[in-house]
Amino acid sequence: MIVKDKSAKLRRQTVLGGFMLIIIAAVTLEVTALVQYFFSRDGIRNEASQRAESELKAAELEIINVISEAEAAVRNSEWITQWCLNFPDSLPSVTRRVVECNPAVVGSTVALVPGYDPTRPLFAPYSLRNPGEQQTQLLSLATEQYDYPSQEWFTRPVETGEGYWSEPYVDEGGGNMLMTTYSLPIRDYSGQIAAVLTADISLDWLTGMINDIHIYPSAFGMVISRTGRIMVCPPAESLEMRQTIGEAAVSLGDSAAFMEVNHNMLTEENGNVEVKYKGASNHVFFDRIDRTGWIMSIVIPDNEIYMSVKRLGLMVMLLQLVGLAMIVLILRATAKKQREYQELNDRREKMLSELKIASDIQMSMIPKVFPPFPDRKEIDVYASMVPAKEVGGDLYDYYVRDNKLYFVIGDVSGKGIPASLVMAVTRSQFRTVSAHEKSPQRVVSAMNASMASSNDNNMFVTLFCGVLNLFTGHLRYCNAGHNAPFVVSRDSVKALPVVPNLPLGVVPDASFTEQETDLSCGELLFLYTDGLSEAENNAKELFSEERIVSEIVPGSGAEEIIHNMEKSVSAFVGDAPQSDDLTMLAIKYMNAALPEWTERHLILHNDIQQIPQLADFIEQIADETRIEQSLAMALNLALEEAVTNVIMYAYPEGSDGLVDIEAILRRNSIEFIITDSGVPFDPTVAPLADVSLPAEQRPIGGLGIYLVRTIMDTLSYERADGKNILSMSKKI
Amino acid sequence: MKVTVENQGLETIVWFEGRLDTPSSLEVSKQLEEEISAKEASRTVILDCTKLDYISSSGLRIFLTLRKAASAAGGKVVIRNMNDNIRSVFLITGFLNLFEVF
Repeated sequence: MIVKDKSAKLRRQTVLGGFMLIIIAAVTLEVTALVQYFFSRDGIRNEASQRAESELKAAELEIINVISEAEAAVRNSEWITQWCLNFPDSLPSVTRRVVECNPAVVGSTVALVPGYDPTRPLFAPYSLRNPGEQQTQLLSLATEQYDYPSQEWFTRPVETGEGYWSEPYVDEGGGNMLMTTYSLPIRDYSGQIAAVLTADISLDWLTGMINDIHIYPSAFGMVISRTGRIMVCPPAESLEMRQTIGEAAVSLGDSAAFMEVNHNMLTEENGNVEVKYKGASNHVFFDRIDRTGWIMSIVIPDNEIYMSVKRLGLMVMLLQLVGLAMIVLILRATAKKQREYQELNDRREKMLSELKIASDIQMSMIPKVFPPFPDRKEIDVYASMVPAKEVGGDLYDYYVRDNKLYFVIGDVSGKGIPASLVMAVTRSQFRTVSAHEKSPQRVVSAMNASMASSNDNNMFVTLFCGVLNLFTGHLRYCNAGHNAPFVVSRDSVKALPVVPNLPLGVVPDASFTEQETDLSCGELLFLYTDGLSEAENNAKELFSEERIVSEIVPGSGAEEIIHNMEKSVSAFVGDAPQSDDLTMLAIKYMNAALPEWTERHLILHNDIQQIPQLADFIEQIADETRIEQSLAMALNLALEEAVTNVIMYAYPEGSDGLVDIEAILRRNSIEFIITDSGVPFDPTVAPLADVSLPAEQRPIGGLGIYLVRTIMDTLSYERADGKNILSMSKKI
Repeated sequence: MKVTVENQGLETIVWFEGRLDTPSSLEVSKQLEEEISAKEASRTVILDCTKLDYISSSGLRIFLTLRKAASAAGGKVVIRNMNDNIRSVFLITGFLNLFEVF
């Protein structure tokens, strides 16, 4: 758990660090973008200013061309007008000429100063160009409604004696259009101002020209008269013509800003001012036209000036955001990968710890306390098992029952967990089956039947099973496809002859051959799995059975022989990985318990009170042969029943007789021969008690001979030399 | 071999101690004939084998005699605490089926 917490904390820190990094990167990038934006703003503003100024200059030049033309038209006709003053009827032709010879001029008049010519108190012939034509029509401005002597274009030149450009006006009753007029006073030859000669310019062309100003999408031009009247303004939905800027400012509700614009524009020659209009900032670039005092201006909304830099900035920010988003995604993917890896690692650790537990459990299944039988001087047993992986498919086991060593060594096909499960099953089957079987052949057959019947995974087990009579050194064994063990004597190493048979689990009703041999005192049985003979070094050479034989030192003890083999195989393999489970089992038969006697005698009188002597006799034999206490009691019981029979029935009542009891110790059995000289009696043919009868029907007798027959393995009777000879034997 | 008979209320307990071989069975047989009358046999007789080390066929005969007397008198015989060796003798002779064994 601690490890897990720690790794989770580490993971959190990593993720946190990653996001901090992203935030820092984002802030840096955005600050850079902003700085770049503000620096480029200045440049952009300068550029806008230059564009506006050049546009203004171009417009101004065009205006000056037009007004110069108008001025020239008037001045060129000054002398002829002067001359014609004496012939007023020719004056209309003068005005017609002014209009017809000058395309820029739409109308012209010669207005006499009232009273100059007594015959004509008011006289002002007016030539007006027909729209779209070169021809003119002649009108007269000398009407009461028009009252030309009060018009500005008339009064100012008369007062000043100079040429004058009028404020723009709609000439009602004259040209009936928005126009401006250049008027020049005409003096007669006496020097008195006699008339005013004019040329009208329509402001329509100016409107057209100003409308063409589109240096930015919604930038527009504006022309203001010298008194601040708006002459031309394309977006004039709220600015009325001929309003002053001041009046417009009041109607727009932002008078302060507009007053400043007004002031700047009316007092300075040129420049630019900023004005807020409808909540947006605008730059107004302006320039005064000297001749007329008109102010040309271009209004550009700030957001359009900075549109390109804004667009660039936005693009940069967008790209940066996309980049950051990608980094975030990559980081998240990395974090996820890391988390997955961590989880995988946790799972792996958990599996490893479970494997360790499995390994411990597996190791606890096999006996590994050495020496295993410290009280038994007749055997020396040692074993070792090294799985190639955490758990293995090798097994060994042994235990002593009824003075016999039951042992097994086996190798499950495959390695790892599947093999270990089969190993556990095999080991427990060995224990279960051998608890009731004395024959290794039957043990192996029963294990095979059980294993083959439920072998869905086609696993098989090679196995060597043996039963060693510790009393006699007699070895019964059965081999199921396993490597033949070696018999190591004081001066030689020989393979134990084995019938190979099939491994366990292959064929359900396979037959297995049991074999037997005798181990003599000091002989050692060396068993191993193919993990030893097939141990591989880096050169892919196998350790081989030849090396096993040559590495065994004859006469070694069980532990010594296994330790030596471990060292040899380890030196041979070097640093090559262990390819298979390696198991060794050594059993040395010492024969120390074999009693020195082979025969024992006891002679009793035919007195029932001597029966307890049998108990002492058996106890002594049991001590010397180390047979189990339960077996000793059974032998005691069989002997007592047989001898009681003789004492009770062989000799006539009251006569003295003897019972001779001889115990003979053989390799794997003990035999009792009971001899008497009484009447012939063959207990082997006596009827047996029926032990299945209910209590009420049970006869009191007949149990004794039944017990003898049940306990002993063989029972034979012989009558020879006038003696009853009863032989009975029991395997030990 | 030592046998003690003890009456506890409606039960009679017989304590066996030692080896019940042929000679000792003869003595025990006589002792029990005296101490277990028809009165005891009509009730419950408990044979305690905790300290019984060995039994031969003559010993088994004593148990069977008690069993027959009890069933004749309307009582019953219960055997308790046999060791494994004694139990195996009861097993091979079919005696395990004749008694209530605890």
